[in-house]
Formats: sequence, C-alpha cells, structure tokens
Amino acid sequence: MNKYAFYTGCVSKGACPELYQSTVAVAKKIGVELVEMLDVGCNGAGVLTTEISDPINARTLAKAEQMGLPIMTICSTCQGVIGAARLRLMNEQYRTAINERFLREEGLEYKGTTVVKHFLWILVEEVGVELLEGLVTNPLTDVGVSPFYGCYMRRPDDVIEQGGRKRYLEQIITGMGATNVDISGKGKCCGFPIAAADETNSLAMAAKHTGEAKDKGADAMVVPCPLCHLNLDGQQERAAASTKKELGIPIFHLPQLIGLALGIDPQELGIQRNMVSLTPVLRKLGMVKQPA
Amino acid sequence: MDVTFKVRRHDPRTGGKPSQQEYSVDLAPGATVFDALVQIREEQDGSLGFRGNCGRGFCGDCVVRMNGKLTLSCLTPVDKTVKDGVIAVEPAPYARQTKDLMYDDQTFLWDKYRAMKPWLVSDGAPAKPVTEEAMANVRTMMRCTMCGLCDFGCTVIDVDQGFMGPAALTKAYRFMIDPRDTATKERLTMAGEPKGMWDCVHCWEASEHCPVGIDPTHRIMDMRDLSVRHGIRSGKQNPKVARHYDSFAKSVKESGWLDEFKITMDTEGIMGSLRLAPVALKALTRGKVAVIHPKRSGAEHIKRIFEKVEAEFKAGQK
Repeated sequence: MNKYAFYTGCVSKGACPELYQSTVAVAKKIGVELVEMLDVGCNGAGVLTTEISDPINARTLAKAEQMGLPIMTICSTCQGVIGAARLRLMNEQYRTAINERFLREEGLEYKGTTVVKHFLWILVEEVGVELLEGLVTNPLTDVGVSPFYGCYMRRPDDVIEQGGRKRYLEQIITGMGATNVDISGKGKCCGFPIAAADETNSLAMAAKHTGEAKDKGADAMVVPCPLCHLNLDGQQERAAASTKKELGIPIFHLPQLIGLALGIDPQELGIQRNMVSLTPVLRKLGMVKQPA
Repeated sequence: MDVTFKVRRHDPRTGGKPSQQEYSVDLAPGATVFDALVQIREEQDGSLGFRGNCGRGFCGDCVVRMNGKLTLSCLTPVDKTVKDGVIAVEPAPYARQTKDLMYDDQTFLWDKYRAMKPWLVSDGAPAKPVTEEAMANVRTMMRCTMCGLCDFGCTVIDVDQGFMGPAALTKAYRFMIDPRDTATKERLTMAGEPKGMWDCVHCWEASEHCPVGIDPTHRIMDMRDLSVRHGIRSGKQNPKVARHYDSFAKSVKESGWLDEFKITMDTEGIMGSLRLAPVALKALTRGKVAVIHPKRSGAEHIKRIFEKVEAEFKAGQK
C-alpha cells in the first residue's frame, strides 16, 4: 500500500475544504494511505522571502524524513515552493547551515532524503492510470474537460524533474472517460498571485483561460491547485463582469473529477461547495434529473 | 534540405490586410531560420522585412515566432523546427509591427528600460575596490542582450502591456546589486510601484524564454527578497502590496499557517472588503471560509525562525 506524509497546505483547510475532503475520499478508494502532517508550517507560497521559507520548509522535509515517508502535496504552489527549497537543500553546505541555525534547537535535522510529490504525480507514477481506469464505475462519457495545470506544475524544469509530468492531467481526463479539450493557456498563470497587487490583471487572466475553455466547447476544467481554483472558480463571476465576457464554466478540483468517475457520492466530494455549479455536468451524466 | 516557409507579411504603411506568403528554399545542412530568411531575401524576394544583425545570438535583434514558438531566429536550426516540411514564421507579438517580421520595440522595451535608470548612480564618495565575488551575479545579468524574449513570453504582458516586464525589472536588479551603485533603496521603491516587481506572477515563463541563462523570474524573486530585507516591501503608490506581505507574514509567524480571511481584510481594508462582500458571502454560505483560525501545533518553532531572520534583517538595515 502506498503511504505518504500528507502536506495539506493552508487553502484546503481554509477556502477550499472540498479539496481536502475529495482528496481523502479518493485516497481511501484507491488504497493510498495518508498520514496528515499537522505540526508543519505554511511553505511561504512565493510570498515570504526564501531566508524565512527555506528553514520552514527544511523543517517540513525533516519531519517527513523522521516519519520515513515521502511528502504528498495537493497544491501546485506548495509543490513548487517546497520542491525548489528541497533542491537548494541538496547542497550540503547550505543544508548544514540551516540545520544548525534553525532546526537543531528543536532536535531536528534534515538529511536531504525526502521526496516531495504532488497527488497528480503519485496517481500517474505510483498508482498508475491503468489501475484507476479499472476502478471507474461512472465514466465521464461525452464530458469535455480542459486541463489547467498551474505554473508550478510546469516550470521550472529543474524542479519539475520529468518533462512527461506536463502531460499527466490529459491522461487522467481521458482515463476517467472524459474528453480532453486542449487549451493553449493550460500552462499559464491563473492570475491568483497578483489578486492583491493588480486585481484587473488577475481577473483578466482568469477570464482569458476560462473563456478559452468555454469557446473550445469544454463542459468543465480541472485544476490540481486550490489557488488556481480560487481564481478560476471563486472569482469567475467577477472576472466575467470585469471583462464583459460570458463565462460560467465549472472547475473541478483534480480529486473531484476522479472521485466522480470512481462512483464516490458527489456530496462526499464537496461539489456543492464549488462557486460555479457543477450541476450541468452531473445532468449531462444523468446523475440529476433533467429540468422539467 | 527543401523547406517551405510560410511567412506572415504586412506593411501597415500601405494599408491592406496581413497575408501569408510561401517560399520554397533549398538550404545547406545546419542552416538556421535566420540564414533561411537571408537566403529568401537575396534569392527570391528583396522586399521581405525582418530584423537581425550578428547571426550569433549576441545582438538579440531577430526575435520571431516559428511554428508557434518564440525564439531568436539565428539560434534556431531549421532541422530542429521544421514540421512536415514547413516552418510558419510570424512576427513577435505586442511590439508595434512596422513591416512583415520587423517591429519597433520603443514603447514595448526601451521606454521601460529607461524608466529603471539603467546606469550607475554614485553618492559622490570615493569609489571602493569591488570583489570578484560581489561582481559574479552582476556579470551573469550583464549577459543580457536585450532581445526582449522574456517580455514576449511574459504571462502578465499577455494581458497588460503596461506591466514593466521581466527585461526592465531584471535590469533594475542588476544595478541594485552592483557594489558600485549607491541607489539601491531608491531603485527598490521605484521597482516596487504599481506595474513593477509585485505585479509579477512568478510563473517562470521568463526564465524558460531567456536564451542566455539569466533566469529573470528568479532575479525578480531575488529583488523582492532584497526589498523585504531592506524593510521596503513596496513602492509608495502600492500600499496594498505591503499590507498583504505584512499580514501574510504575521499570520504564518503567529499561527504557523495562513489566515486567509484576515489577510484579505488587512490587505483590502474596509472599502475593498465591501467590494468583495458578495463573493465572500457566497463562499461563506457554502462553507468555504474558515472564520476560526487556530494555532498549529509547532507554531512556536515557526515563530522562532521568523524572529531569528527578522533580527538579521534589522541588523543589516542599520
């Protein structure tokens, strides 16, 4: 059985609780055991300076090392930021300095061995798309889904490590019986990081990507990142208003899409919490009655 | 090697619509796309307009889009780009098109460079010797050929061409860390204004596009770190960014993790929060906003990390 130290990130415990609950539900269904890391901090999300975030992330990596488990993330930004810190901490001199200045007091030491993987990577590389396909009881037939990765799942190459990882979402989409509706913006930024600094640009990005998916005929999009979800789903109505575009395209969290195909109760996947309703997709699948 | 080039042609001075013209070219092995464009101009069509000088990646003048990919034509071998015997060549986006593949990057690039004061500023004190170590990073950034590829690939410029962009911001950082320059704080304030470094989404596109390995996204992140170390956090016209950083840092320092609700309130202020109220209410009714924010276990260790680093920042500012 695959077992991981589960780094939930802040958002799945805050504004996107449906990501947390759908991850737990899917993991249980496919036999992935999660040990939640409860005593670790926010990784800094590219906001905190690396002088502060590297020691915090070294601490997280050391805790997982102690547990003897690889870390599983469910957020592109958590993956990218902890992954980049991990890469810097491969340098022994730097790692020793961080250990001595920050971790020793707590009786911790990071030896540099922890692996950090996003749930998407685990699904494809360790669980296997074939196994997932075998568990599908409710194929998402005729549902067009556009992939949207979040920047940190595509770049930079040294943190991503394997180029093939840039095509995993498409494998999951088709594996679940849905149709992949490719969009040119799938590897671009959702706009969330500048929601405070430049709201107009942030909403313009959300409108651009959701608009492209809609124009190409997708019924929904899927994201492996709750920050992308906050901007593409949570802010979609405002993005539509600010750019005078008609949008209204539902956004799946990755485990919501998989869970639906594996026959998990939509309520258990928290789909009622999504801001843009997923009902049209459920209707297409015959899971809710047609309107009278 | 026979290759068909489908070149986008347009001369705005004479009006008319853009069109696509095909040229069949027999190229020598190892030819670059730039070689091919020169060959077309010399052998087939003297009216074809494109930019380029050195042919060796030094001048940064020959950016075009080839089969959808933005790059320097002189560093791109034809055999690595050709698809089914065809290469589609289009001008770089955003900059004002002048003719065919030629563009004028005055407002797109040069005005932004100039705004960042790309020259050494001295306080008049006698110059001190500089170490090799202090110059190493500056030298890396001095490799910039000002080709603008990082800007052409920028996700933010894609929606807002008023964004300062990675090229000018990296140039600003190059002077900030130059040991001979004495205007670091003024530069940080300037680059921290709206449309500056805090508008970057750190998507790493710029780094992916840079042909000389400057890694502009990393440099912008380094510049933000430098800004926080100096206690500046944002420009004077950009107080929201500073409020966001402060609230974010305070939340992680005190509780170990993010209090999204509090950060939004602190950043937006009362008026801004009112503007977001409809979305917040909808989220609240769906159970998407956690109002209670307990401390994480182990939060005291996170706080200790903050205190150590902040003490160092303070000592460095004196």
